[in-house]
Amino acid sequence: MSNTTYSATSGIQQEERLLFEHAHEAPESISLPGVQGKAPSSLDVFKRKSAANIPGLSEPETVRHFVRLSQWNHGIETGFYPLGSCTMKYNPRVNEQVARLPGLAHVHPDQPEDSVQGILGLLYELQGWLTEISGFKDVTLQPAAGAHGELVGLMMIRKCLDARGEQGRKKVLVPDSAHGTNPASAALCGMYTVEIKSGADGRIDLDELKKHLDDDVAALMMTNPNTAGTFESDIKEICQLVHDAGGLVYGDGANLNALVGVARPGDMGLDCLHINVHKTFSTPHGGGGPGAGPVAVNDTLKPFLPVPRIEKDGDVFKVVTEDKQSIGSVLSTLGQTGVYMRANAYISAFGHNHIHKIAQDAVLNANYVLSRLKDVYHVPFEGLCKHECLLTDEWQNKHGVKTLDIAKRLIDLGFHPMTVYFPLIVHGAMLIEPTETESKETLDSFCDAMLEIAAQCEAGDTQALHDAPVKPIRRRLDETQAARKPVLVWSD
Amino acid sequence: MRYLPHTNSDRQAMLESMGLHEIMDLFTDIPKEFHTKLGSLDLPDALSEAGIVKKFTKAAEKNRHAGNTRCFLGGGTYHHFVPAVVDYVISRGEFLTAYTPYQPEIAQGTLQALFEYQTMIARLTGMEVSNASMYEAATATAEAALMARRVTRKTRTVIAGSVNPRYRTVTENYLSRLEGDYVEVAMGEFGTDLSQVIDAIDETTACVIVQYPDFYGSVYDLAPLREACDAHKCLMVVAFSDVSAFGLIESPGAYGADIAVGSGQALGIPMAFGGPHLGVFACKQKYLRQMPGRVCGLTTDADGKRGFVLTLSTREQHIRREKATSNICTNQGLMCTAASTYMTLMGDAGLETVANHSAAALDLLVSKLPNGVVAADGAHYNETVLTFASQEKRDAFISEARNNDIFAGIPLETIEKGAEQIDGNRHLLVATTEMIEEDDISDYIQAMEVAL
Repeated sequence: MSNTTYSATSGIQQEERLLFEHAHEAPESISLPGVQGKAPSSLDVFKRKSAANIPGLSEPETVRHFVRLSQWNHGIETGFYPLGSCTMKYNPRVNEQVARLPGLAHVHPDQPEDSVQGILGLLYELQGWLTEISGFKDVTLQPAAGAHGELVGLMMIRKCLDARGEQGRKKVLVPDSAHGTNPASAALCGMYTVEIKSGADGRIDLDELKKHLDDDVAALMMTNPNTAGTFESDIKEICQLVHDAGGLVYGDGANLNALVGVARPGDMGLDCLHINVHKTFSTPHGGGGPGAGPVAVNDTLKPFLPVPRIEKDGDVFKVVTEDKQSIGSVLSTLGQTGVYMRANAYISAFGHNHIHKIAQDAVLNANYVLSRLKDVYHVPFEGLCKHECLLTDEWQNKHGVKTLDIAKRLIDLGFHPMTVYFPLIVHGAMLIEPTETESKETLDSFCDAMLEIAAQCEAGDTQALHDAPVKPIRRRLDETQAARKPVLVWSD
Repeated sequence: MRYLPHTNSDRQAMLESMGLHEIMDLFTDIPKEFHTKLGSLDLPDALSEAGIVKKFTKAAEKNRHAGNTRCFLGGGTYHHFVPAVVDYVISRGEFLTAYTPYQPEIAQGTLQALFEYQTMIARLTGMEVSNASMYEAATATAEAALMARRVTRKTRTVIAGSVNPRYRTVTENYLSRLEGDYVEVAMGEFGTDLSQVIDAIDETTACVIVQYPDFYGSVYDLAPLREACDAHKCLMVVAFSDVSAFGLIESPGAYGADIAVGSGQALGIPMAFGGPHLGVFACKQKYLRQMPGRVCGLTTDADGKRGFVLTLSTREQHIRREKATSNICTNQGLMCTAASTYMTLMGDAGLETVANHSAAALDLLVSKLPNGVVAADGAHYNETVLTFASQEKRDAFISEARNNDIFAGIPLETIEKGAEQIDGNRHLLVATTEMIEEDDISDYIQAMEVAL
């Protein structure tokens, strides 16, 4: 069997000890600027009795340590990264360059307003663009990530209902395909969630929804396209039903990449939407963060937006810190402004004339992958997908192969696996989101790998799947052992 | 469009392979009435890469920044030195462009860096375990209050009025939709009077939150608080704004804190107008299973080699859903790698030097204050409150300093609502770091003398 179309190979991989295992004593300390004195004697009684025991390596050793670690990682710059509902698209380098300009990176958040007009202008501009792209009336930049945005959205919904005298509404409806953050955010808001069972097509079932609509309903939280990668075509009716019952509709914008420039959630009747700028607007995921989760709102929720926020008064940008109806603040500062610099640069690169190509190519790529794989992998929900496609391991199960084996085998072939075992509404889910920044060549190579894995299953040649991965620096890791006796810090 | 690899013929070939003709055939499941006319959004024309650089450079030049001023601003964000290696490491694509390490075999780099981060944070704060970050200090403080409710099954939260007002506001906001009292203990002075805080604790209290050094930079003995928390079976939560303090002064853990939370921005992370920063969250091992956020743990692989995975995920939202310990998912992962790199370069000696220089600068500044300006009493780390004869005098100094490229401090009332109730808007919160040189302090004092 030829591996020539796949990129994975075994080069030199350097093992690297933990920092704490470097044998020698810390070298002379880095030279530091400032007042070259000691702390005042008034602090003497408060001094540490023993050193913290932070290792301290020389600069060359530090660089080598972290570069070696970096080489054990797969990033979007390394290769294909089709994690469903995560939108792992290319992160433009120029965005990194401009975000690091001293006039943006080294600005203190409490500088006087007249000294920060440039950065306030960029943030204000982005507020306008996010509002326009999502089809709402205003936006808050304060939430630090998607889940934080969910909390803010629900806080606004809570406050809006309270203002209507509807304190008793505490039920939040969540489709069974929802992200786990949805119910967790509702709980933080003092509300409880009720799961709505998806219909046979993976979408919200209107009859099922109606059963749960009563005087207790505060909100429906929905993701559209949903986590099965399909568009909720009944969106208008869904919003109407919830509104008629006295509730509001919260949009989880994790999957906005499917719609950018092509359709706007705000036009469809939703009351608010959080946007994951670290997905849709290309800001780097950084191995888990930072992200940012701005929330766009319609007129119903606009009075309740958090403070502080940025407004424009003539030619001057101002930070508004107080507002009677506001839910208050959810962060120490205006938000993850460094992340927003990158998002602004990203939208700048597309402009009105190209922005829709994001959704078009993202959806094209997902459907192309689906069309190449649908004859050999079980597709639970027929029809067009949006920016991601959902498969299951049903047909491979009869050969004793599970989603996990397929995922790990992909690693040996040079690809990051897709999202596995999510959404929970199908058994053995494989959710593939290629994004718009992948070439046809890459998609074909990935599909070839998937077809090859399916063929190996059919041929009963499955040992390599169960053994996988063998090429990375580590093989399958024992998660049970890690959880049973957790070791979270090193002891010498 | 330079970020999209397809040519039009690629697109056509792909569509034809699916039996489709044009790209909008892929969007027929979206009702027609919701289709946006392509190109109609109110956005500017696309910019070239050179155009983007020009636009941002122009905007950046409108701002003043720590590179062309002397920054005496603190209040939760500090201008510490960032070694070049830190930015290099976090710019590497393998760290920068990786997702959350859900496939541990190809994310060992991120995972080992997180394990090292957790270890170093635990050591620096004197705690037994650390998570892999929260968004920033205010949300970390709020999460500590929520965690204390779970651990103690009690609902009353006591917080000292000398905790950063922004942390208090966010904590109160988080708690306001849940049952239970939220009690702020007003201090009436620029420091922490622990006896007042202790008096506010009762049997129904889940936790008491203090800041150390406090919002005003004051350093004080936390020992009495541990006794009071033991007496009332509540958790002792210690918040902090500038973690660099613990290179020098005793850690929250040494005083017996149950949870330590605060900002790790000082560890090699630029101020960036407020974020992304780093929320530190550390606690005692026995409370581990109630801790919010991701954690990385040690394990072995199929060949018996040491490796790392995200663990204890049964606490987290993607497994536990509404019963999760927090709704947090995306955190500040890359900032952990930055902090790890920074601490590795510094070591104990470097961290102690940063703290010494930061504190020495404030001490020098205070020692030179002219008549008519008074610094708060007591031991301070790198931040204090200066009180002027009047608001006019203070503001005259702020603008004279500004004329000399100095950001002199934060007028206290801009952060602390009601600060004027103490005795008028005549207070200035001033902070120093190792980036402040002796000359800067001379210029600062000179501006003061000119203005007064």
